[in-house]
Amino acid sequence: MIQFSGVSKYYDGDAVLKDISFTIEKGELAYITGPSGVGKTTLLKLIYCAERPDGGQIIVAGWDVGKLKQGTIPFLRRNVGIVFQDFRLLFNKTVFDNIALALRIHDMQPREIKETVNNVLKDIRLKHKEHVFPQHLSGGEQQRIVIARAMVSRPTVLLADEPTGNLDMDTSRNIMSLFREINARGTTVLIATHNNALFHGTGRRVLYLSNTHIEKEAVG
Amino acid sequence: MRTLIYALQTAMKSIWHEKWINLLTVLSVGIGLLILSSFATVTLNVDSALKRWAKGFGMVVYLDGDLTGKAENELKRLFLQDPDIIGVKYISKEQAVRELRRTLGENASILDELDENPLPSSFELKLKRELLKPDVVKKKAEQISRLKGVEEVQYGEKWLSSLNTLSTILKTGAVFLGCAILVAIVFITYNTIKIFFYRRKDEIETLKLLGATRTFIRLPFLIEGLFIGIAGGLISAVALFGIHSMISFKGADILPAIRALMVAPPMRAYMAIVIAGAAMSLTGSFIAVGRIRY
Ligand SMILES: Nc1ncnc2c1ncn2[C@@H]1O[C@H](COP(=O)(O)OP(=O)(O)O)[C@@H](O)[C@H]1O
Ligand SMILES: [Mg+2]
Repeated sequence: MIQFSGVSKYYDGDAVLKDISFTIEKGELAYITGPSGVGKTTLLKLIYCAERPDGGQIIVAGWDVGKLKQGTIPFLRRNVGIVFQDFRLLFNKTVFDNIALALRIHDMQPREIKETVNNVLKDIRLKHKEHVFPQHLSGGEQQRIVIARAMVSRPTVLLADEPTGNLDMDTSRNIMSLFREINARGTTVLIATHNNALFHGTGRRVLYLSNTHIEKEAVG
Repeated sequence: MRTLIYALQTAMKSIWHEKWINLLTVLSVGIGLLILSSFATVTLNVDSALKRWAKGFGMVVYLDGDLTGKAENELKRLFLQDPDIIGVKYISKEQAVRELRRTLGENASILDELDENPLPSSFELKLKRELLKPDVVKKKAEQISRLKGVEEVQYGEKWLSSLNTLSTILKTGAVFLGCAILVAIVFITYNTIKIFFYRRKDEIETLKLLGATRTFIRLPFLIEGLFIGIAGGLISAVALFGIHSMISFKGADILPAIRALMVAPPMRAYMAIVIAGAAMSLTGSFIAVGRIRY
């Protein structure tokens, strides 16, 4: 589903990723980890074409991402749900509208949007907050909305960048179980985190990023 | 289609949310279009007045004194056949004297001193209106004066050329002013839409990351620009109509003939104002949104 072959990425001449190769299979839930600043976010950005590789090939859901034309990029992104590290919620829209936006972009019918968003709101147990603006919600609640927005359009791939960033243990567990549910429904999930506790004992595949390359691969 | 509906909703929200800056923009566009359309109306009126005066324009062809009736008839036939000439009037020596007597009035008795009629007979020719340009008329006059039996051709050369110059100046002015104002409207809308675009920069960035197409992102801004242009156009059309009606009604008290003389802007012109506003504003917002890169 996600395939990197010899991928490199440089910022101002400095290599962040160098000759990276790995594959995430369809239906997998995997982690990518490493210390802060190692290039996890950069790696995710390469997947959804917010950054372009300086070498190598990236295939995501059948798209050759490095070669995508500007006009095609939106169509790749519709297959990839993203849980941004900085959330990227719109503060001038309600919780409902923030989630619905993803479906409006997909050109879904208003009636269908309403039903789908309501279901997702129930899934993340935030139905009662649908008319609230995101800035009035706690960090954990905001995080759940970002996840809801990323998964509501049923993407084939879900990427999450530090999804438990500064949340407490309980909330984190809560969030992680959401990802397991999404994965159980068939979505391939890739989570970037610097926090070992997240994948410890999960039995899932973990890629360790260190100094521009994948140092090792292990089961968490 | 759904994208269009959603874009309409988004645009409407933005129009309402930013109502003051939008109102200001609409008014600027409206005032610009009003100046433009007023000037065009004035030009239209002056031009039609000029044309009306030009209708009375004639060319007088004086004939040789010793021309036979047959030769005069020959000339008349020639003039009547000429497609450029739409009116031919023959004035005989006798008629000419009678007219001169009438003009002289009391002093007409001096004519009695003469034993012979000194006035030549003549033709008064009317030319097609399209030909009433100084150089064309001059050429025609030369051509006629070369005919056998023609003594001299006279016409109001100076008068014709100054009318023509005035009309040309007005038309050129209208075109220049028009272009300047249309460019200004593009710029005004560009400015406003650019401000909105920058204010929503973060949101647009998020939309891009969520997989929104360029159309999805652009459409609300284009609709808003279109709205500004149409609203500005409508305002100026209504204002122009109001001003025109006021002048033709109030003006009639002072100068009763004004209503017969004034030319009302045709319905097409009102539509053109709105369309021009819409097109220019749309262009401005298109430039403002610019190329969207992912
Ligand atoms: N747009 C950018 N321009 C220049 N350097 C960047 C840019 N984005 C990230 N970097 C650098 O690339 C490295 C990896 O960053 P990042 O991928 O954010 O790491 P991580 O997500 O693992 O913390 C860092 O040293 C960061 O400073
Ligand atoms: Mg990061």
